[in-house]
Amino acid sequence: MSIGRDEVLHVARLAELAVRENEVDRLVQQLNRIVDYVAQLDEVPADHQAAPFLPGPARVPLRADTPGPVPLARPPAAMAPEFADGFFLVPRHGAMEEL
Amino acid sequence: MLHWSQEALDTEGDRVDRMPAPGPLAGMAIALKDNIVTVEEPTTCGSRILSGYLSPYTATAVARLRAAGALVAIKTNMDEFAMGSSTENSAFGRVRHPLDPERVPGGSSGGSAALVAAGVVPAALGSETGGSVRQPASFCGIVGLKPSYGRVSRYGLVAFGSSLDCISVFSRTVDDAGRVLAAMSGVDPLDATTLDRPPMTAPAPRTDLSGLRVGLPREYFPPDLHAGVASALRRTREAIEQLGGTVREVSLPHSRFAVPTYYIVAPAEAAANLARYDGVRYGPRKVGPAGDIRALYQATRGEGFGAEVRRRILVGTYVLSAGYYDAYYRKAQRVRALIADDFRQAFASGVDLLLTPTTPTPAFRAGEKTEDPVAMYLADIFVCAVNLAGLPAVTLPVGRSEGLPIGGQLIAPFFEEERLLAAAAALERAVPADGEVRG
Repeated sequence: MSIGRDEVLHVARLAELAVRENEVDRLVQQLNRIVDYVAQLDEVPADHQAAPFLPGPARVPLRADTPGPVPLARPPAAMAPEFADGFFLVPRHGAMEEL
Repeated sequence: MLHWSQEALDTEGDRVDRMPAPGPLAGMAIALKDNIVTVEEPTTCGSRILSGYLSPYTATAVARLRAAGALVAIKTNMDEFAMGSSTENSAFGRVRHPLDPERVPGGSSGGSAALVAAGVVPAALGSETGGSVRQPASFCGIVGLKPSYGRVSRYGLVAFGSSLDCISVFSRTVDDAGRVLAAMSGVDPLDATTLDRPPMTAPAPRTDLSGLRVGLPREYFPPDLHAGVASALRRTREAIEQLGGTVREVSLPHSRFAVPTYYIVAPAEAAANLARYDGVRYGPRKVGPAGDIRALYQATRGEGFGAEVRRRILVGTYVLSAGYYDAYYRKAQRVRALIADDFRQAFASGVDLLLTPTTPTPAFRAGEKTEDPVAMYLADIFVCAVNLAGLPAVTLPVGRSEGLPIGGQLIAPFFEEERLLAAAAALERAVPADGEVRG
């Protein structure tokens, strides 16, 4: 499996990650190195593969669907760069305002 | 250390002095890897993207340690978001090995390991996703204890790979590791993956190992194993037999697939968990061209994350993307089941514990593996299968090669920490940790 330059840029867009032009070639090389390495799982025969495994409880218990107190040490306003009238303020963006 | 002050330590000391009864950890200073949150200190995860972040809540494990009398006020350096095996990936600089500053302490919990090894604190918390406590504990010559998945609450541990992450313990003695784990273990309504079983108790140490059956997985003792590591493990095996235990070879045939499986599962989970760092909800914000919210996300994440984190996010996104999901992620999930089943079969065949080297070599030099990500990943070859299977394991120092510590790893069945720690304590007394071995 070989990952090309266009594929790296496509995956970076999916991951919402800006990639500088001068690092693309290096990323292509490193991602190919990693993907070639993990491809050795192809040696495991398909008929030997079990159902997916996750550790922990067989069934994760669900809490009662009732609201409870949120145990925060400081109010939301103290955590936000800007906060007004019960809302977090974020940068103004034209694309958002057109919606 | 990334965050500490004498004032904060004094405040903790005053709090413990006022406790009506001394707890089981009264007065013990315990440092925290900087991905475990407290309301008093910043939490950065070794990343620029969390600069200035102060958590509005404290991790359950920390609250329990404090209730037991521990002093918790120091945060330690780490590989960014726990991604690395050398603690060279922190935005705040690399951590040096306490015995040789040209070498690495291991990672990703290298700051906690170095602090305990240097004698600054008797114990520290780290986190394991793929061996990030046992590997640095082995490099630094101290004890590293990873509990079963579900033994300790993950509430307040910043998520990396949620099906793998475990808060784990560094200490200078097996007894201290057991006491710290006992104090913070137990079911937590704030983490639905904790198991509702009786709390762990620190076991009474065994004076011998009579009746104990120990398996040596042949895949963990390859012919080209580092001579010093092989020699130290041979001496550990002899100590088990001298203490009355029996040793025999077993097989974990899929363990050679553990590293490639891990480097699909963990980046996939990381790509999802780290999506929240977008410049809107946490940390510094890099505003892109006006009118483009996605440019804000991309610029903030592109500049806020370091090279290894960006690489793993890209790998994780790739293996989860349409067209590759079945070939990589689904296959890795199934191989993970085979790896876990190998351990079940080994224990079912009549062994109580497994003994392996913790790392393939002693601590390597800084910069030695930074150019080749796969070479760095292979530093975890003997530790990450345990994380995939959710099992408990402990490393303890079993000798030195050319002055550098070597760790021996004991692995137990799920939720058998008491058995694990009792045997480790007996071995700790029998095997000289600082004794030079001949390769």
